[in-house]
Amino acid sequence: MSALPERPITILIAALGGEGGGVLADWIVAAATAQDYPVQSTSIPGVAQRTGATTYYIEIYPAKTSGLGGRRPVMALTPAPGCVDVVVASELLEAGRAMQNGYVDERTTLIASTHRVYTVAEKMHMADGRFDSDVVLKAAGELTRRAVLFDMQAQASAAGTVISAVMFGALAGSGTLPLSREECEAAIRSGGKGAEASLKGFAAGFERARGERTIAPEEKKRPLDATLCSPVQRVRQTFPPETRAILGEGAARCADFQDSVYANFYLDRLEPIVNLDRAADGYKLAIESGRFLALWMCYEDVIRVADLKTRKSRVERVREEVQAKPHEPVHLTEFLKPGLDEFAAVLPRWLARPLKGVAGTTGLANKLNVGMRVKTTSVSGYLLMRCLAWLRPLRPLTSRWHEEQALIDRWLAAITAAAKRDTGLALEIALCARLIKGYGETHKRGKGNFLRIMNTVIESDVVSGASRAEAIRKAREAALADPEGRKLEQSLEAQGIAPLPPRPKPVRFMRRNDRKAA
Amino acid sequence: MERSFKKEVELLKLKEGQTFHGEGILAVTKALLQSGVSYVGGYQGAPISHMMDVLNDARDIMGDLGIHIETNASEAGAAAMLGASINYPLRGAVAWKSTVGTNVASDALSNLSSAGVRGGALIVIGEDYGEGASIIQERSHAFAMKSQIWLLDPRPDLPTIVRMVEKGFELSEASNTPVMLELRIRACHLHGSFAARDNRAAEFSRKNTLENPDFDFGRIPLPPATYAQERVKVETRWPAAQKFIRENQLNEVFDGTIAEVGIIAQGGMYNAAVRALQQLGLADAFGNSKIPIYALNVTYPLVPEEVGAFCAGKRAVLMVEEGQPAYLEDALHTILRRADLQTKVHGKDCLPMAGEYTGEVVLSGVAKWLEAVAPHTEKAGVDPASVRQAFERLTAPKKRAAELLGTVPARPPGFCIGCPERPVFAAMKLIEREQGAFHISADIGCHTFSTLPPFNIGNTVLGYGLGLASNAAIDAIFSRRTVTVMGDGGFWHNGLTSGVANAVFNKDDGILVIMKNGYTSATGTQAIPSSLHQTEWKSGDMSIERALKGIGVQWLKSVYTYRVSEMAKVLRKAMASPFRGLKVIIADAECQLERQRRIRPQVAAALLRGKRVVRTRFGIDEDVCTGDHSCIRLSGCPSLTIKASSDPLKVDPVAHVDNDCVGCGLCGEVAHAAVLCPSFYRADIVQNPNAWDRFIAGLRRTVIGWLQPAEPRSTT
Repeated sequence: MSALPERPITILIAALGGEGGGVLADWIVAAATAQDYPVQSTSIPGVAQRTGATTYYIEIYPAKTSGLGGRRPVMALTPAPGCVDVVVASELLEAGRAMQNGYVDERTTLIASTHRVYTVAEKMHMADGRFDSDVVLKAAGELTRRAVLFDMQAQASAAGTVISAVMFGALAGSGTLPLSREECEAAIRSGGKGAEASLKGFAAGFERARGERTIAPEEKKRPLDATLCSPVQRVRQTFPPETRAILGEGAARCADFQDSVYANFYLDRLEPIVNLDRAADGYKLAIESGRFLALWMCYEDVIRVADLKTRKSRVERVREEVQAKPHEPVHLTEFLKPGLDEFAAVLPRWLARPLKGVAGTTGLANKLNVGMRVKTTSVSGYLLMRCLAWLRPLRPLTSRWHEEQALIDRWLAAITAAAKRDTGLALEIALCARLIKGYGETHKRGKGNFLRIMNTVIESDVVSGASRAEAIRKAREAALADPEGRKLEQSLEAQGIAPLPPRPKPVRFMRRNDRKAA
Repeated sequence: MERSFKKEVELLKLKEGQTFHGEGILAVTKALLQSGVSYVGGYQGAPISHMMDVLNDARDIMGDLGIHIETNASEAGAAAMLGASINYPLRGAVAWKSTVGTNVASDALSNLSSAGVRGGALIVIGEDYGEGASIIQERSHAFAMKSQIWLLDPRPDLPTIVRMVEKGFELSEASNTPVMLELRIRACHLHGSFAARDNRAAEFSRKNTLENPDFDFGRIPLPPATYAQERVKVETRWPAAQKFIRENQLNEVFDGTIAEVGIIAQGGMYNAAVRALQQLGLADAFGNSKIPIYALNVTYPLVPEEVGAFCAGKRAVLMVEEGQPAYLEDALHTILRRADLQTKVHGKDCLPMAGEYTGEVVLSGVAKWLEAVAPHTEKAGVDPASVRQAFERLTAPKKRAAELLGTVPARPPGFCIGCPERPVFAAMKLIEREQGAFHISADIGCHTFSTLPPFNIGNTVLGYGLGLASNAAIDAIFSRRTVTVMGDGGFWHNGLTSGVANAVFNKDDGILVIMKNGYTSATGTQAIPSSLHQTEWKSGDMSIERALKGIGVQWLKSVYTYRVSEMAKVLRKAMASPFRGLKVIIADAECQLERQRRIRPQVAAALLRGKRVVRTRFGIDEDVCTGDHSCIRLSGCPSLTIKASSDPLKVDPVAHVDNDCVGCGLCGEVAHAAVLCPSFYRADIVQNPNAWDRFIAGLRRTVIGWLQPAEPRSTT
């Protein structure tokens, strides 16, 4: 008898529930069994739900059972550090988890999809809670024997199949299994249903793994606008090259939101800040001020929303997103619930103010929200929305316009004043505009947090000197970490600012002091 | 049912000389048939849920053998069913998730083991411990000890598992005692092979029925019989069991060259111990180890003669025993003391007291032990320095990974896409925002995920179907009304009696929300009495509503769960209602997973036939979305996710609905109920449109085209 292999080949599959990790494990087992290799697989599918991280673990002893004389290799049920030959991950973070658990070392081939399925913790963050993909990619490059990384989800969609087929192809193509391409394909065929699509996905994965190409996940940003309206030309002619991309985009956005006068006004507002900023800092202050000023100046009122929702390009984008075929009609229903605030926002100031006052004192403010389902693909629904969009020229007359412009001026004044002494401090102030976003209650809370920081750390001298920028940064981050605003108060308290009491909540429960007396 | 085993159950027909290739649970079922069982049953729960599915899918095969299959109401019911083996020579087996299921079953188990059995009684317990477990972490071992039920813990290797099932019945009959077969999560899902044998029909079955009832007061749990039963247990049955275990060599000794030390392992831990030795260069791929190993396929009772023989002449042994308390290690000390053997016992000093013994844990435990016993192994050529080096080389990448990666965000399981339970918690979250937090007694089921982000709803969990019972004192002592959540699975398991009936009886004033999704969804969507779609084996038309009315619930409202505003309104109403007494809200909508499983093939077939089918899904206008993610904080749907904004000005990712959306409508409902934002849209895509569809769509497109402004800029 020739010398037998020292140990089994070990394969760890890291997947999300419902992604077909079990199917992949079954394929591997079937292919190994057909070749008479001793094989064992285990898993922890646990609960039935479709979301959590899960693993499958397989060991193949690469010598035919018939040649073992009845001896059975002892195979493990759990992976052990330093003892995993292949990790196949259906998603990038799960590849990171396998590394974190110590299953990846210089013996390991890591095969992972670079696409991301975000965890709830990452998704629910008020700003950007995403785990940095580059960290995982870098670790994969350093820790593994070899890393096969590409977007398997995209390959699966292209082949009209599920990701497990692409994963199997990549695994087979990586040359780590004692199984040929044909043997693996036979296992897919014997599975029956959907075999043709699976084989297509398998082929895509196989070829990618053979090519040994490593592709980083790409974030597609829309290319900057090439159309030249005069404010954009002004950016090109008079602003520093580093700032042109964002400022050009900002000017174009303002023109799109209102008109080119407004876009010029945007640049007029920015000019003093740009002049105070320095090339040595890469014009970071100018760029970030320009970014948030544009977003703020193009605030989302009903006119803007109606405009965006009634554009021709929007229907095309939606059709593509929902994967409608060219001949299939698509009906769109918008979920709008404008309330008193939205209504008052488009009224002139002299009408809005008393209206809000009355509503506030009578407690009507929260009750007047009208839930509307508007069909923008029907003529009447479209017309309704378009009528709102046609109000655009009247926007400068609305109460919201005046409110926003005043607050913007206050913010810009704070930035400019700070920039004269310390551009780092000014940058922190500029970034605070990130807090203002959303609609309705969310918008109110965000603006409230912004104003709280303005009133306490930015415009007063409670915190002074070098620690001020730091205090602003901390307050901003605290505001973004907690929708209820308690963390912001804690952060301010650390600076010696008395915290606001939590907002009272009305109790509409039945008080039951009298019950169960008997 | 989550998974169909229609194809796999063909394996149950294999005959002598054929090889079985398949999953552990299926292998156990095959072993039951090879053992000639008369009846089987159980209650679902991971990791043995699939065993119940297999039994149900194998009704034809079982029918040929005359085997009775019962879908028991609970683990208590399953354990009580084993009473058939007390008086009659019937072999029977039941299965459940442990320890929670064993907790529920323990009343019947005590009575069963005290009375003793004539026919072999086997309990297959899926030990839900460690990674992937969904329950509190305890050991089933304690139940075996307190009731004197023998506990098998076979090596995770299909031939051994199958042999232990077969021998388990013989052991049960030889000692008149029920036997538990413990399978850990991974052993249940273990895919391997074994040589099959013929199935055996039982002497008595549905095909050859019993005729004469047997009466013996000695088997009744009343004094003085109970005193005699206790004595028989320890004086007769225990020694009989030890004799059987010894004579049939149920435990296994694997010799090694280094006789001074040894490892004693639970059968289920054997493979992990061998792998650790392999990694440290002390064993080969076939388990030939330099260090002798004693594998306990029977962990209760121990056989002192065997233990003594293994330890005699050894300076030290390592007890590899997963979980706590360390019953085996303690018993080992006692046995060695009584035998006056001086072997040093290591165990929890090298291995952790609590937690799963994964490959990594056992590896470091064995390495630590080898260091401790180095003086005894050095002359046999084991170099402690090289063991240490090997260990450090194996574990170094984890340290480096931690430096490189920091902490990777956790990904716990959660509600599925379009789950009908999610909207209920979205409604509760809205009320919480409005009026402050209120106490919620949660229960066991998918709905327990409400305690995770983004909802963080549910203050206590006390057991399956026990939500309302656990709220009894809370309800009385809180000034505000409190809410209890219960699933329909829990309702039929326990909740109807210990919860609802009791609350009505005691005139409790709480609010009960029953999640009526039609299945025990968390265990893999098995049918329950109120399931809409029953097989021919089950009785239909058992309604929760009628049961509630029947026991006197007067305030009862049913709400279609996806109507978030409606759900919030009814909850508010229940909270403010002057009605004193239990208020029950039925959150009514079918489990989406099961619904999709049912309708997907129907839709695909309709599309193929050219029928008009409207597909609904939701979407988000990314230029309207500002990236504040407040919609996600009220949903957590896997399909409602984020993506990098394609807008160069926006730094935060925008919300995004991916193509897995099933169009349940929650997004729109939440946008309305929470007054969120106007970014959401619902798209109804008309597939296979008819002439009218095309005409009207064309007309609308034309008219809208006239109204549409020229595009001010390209947005592609």
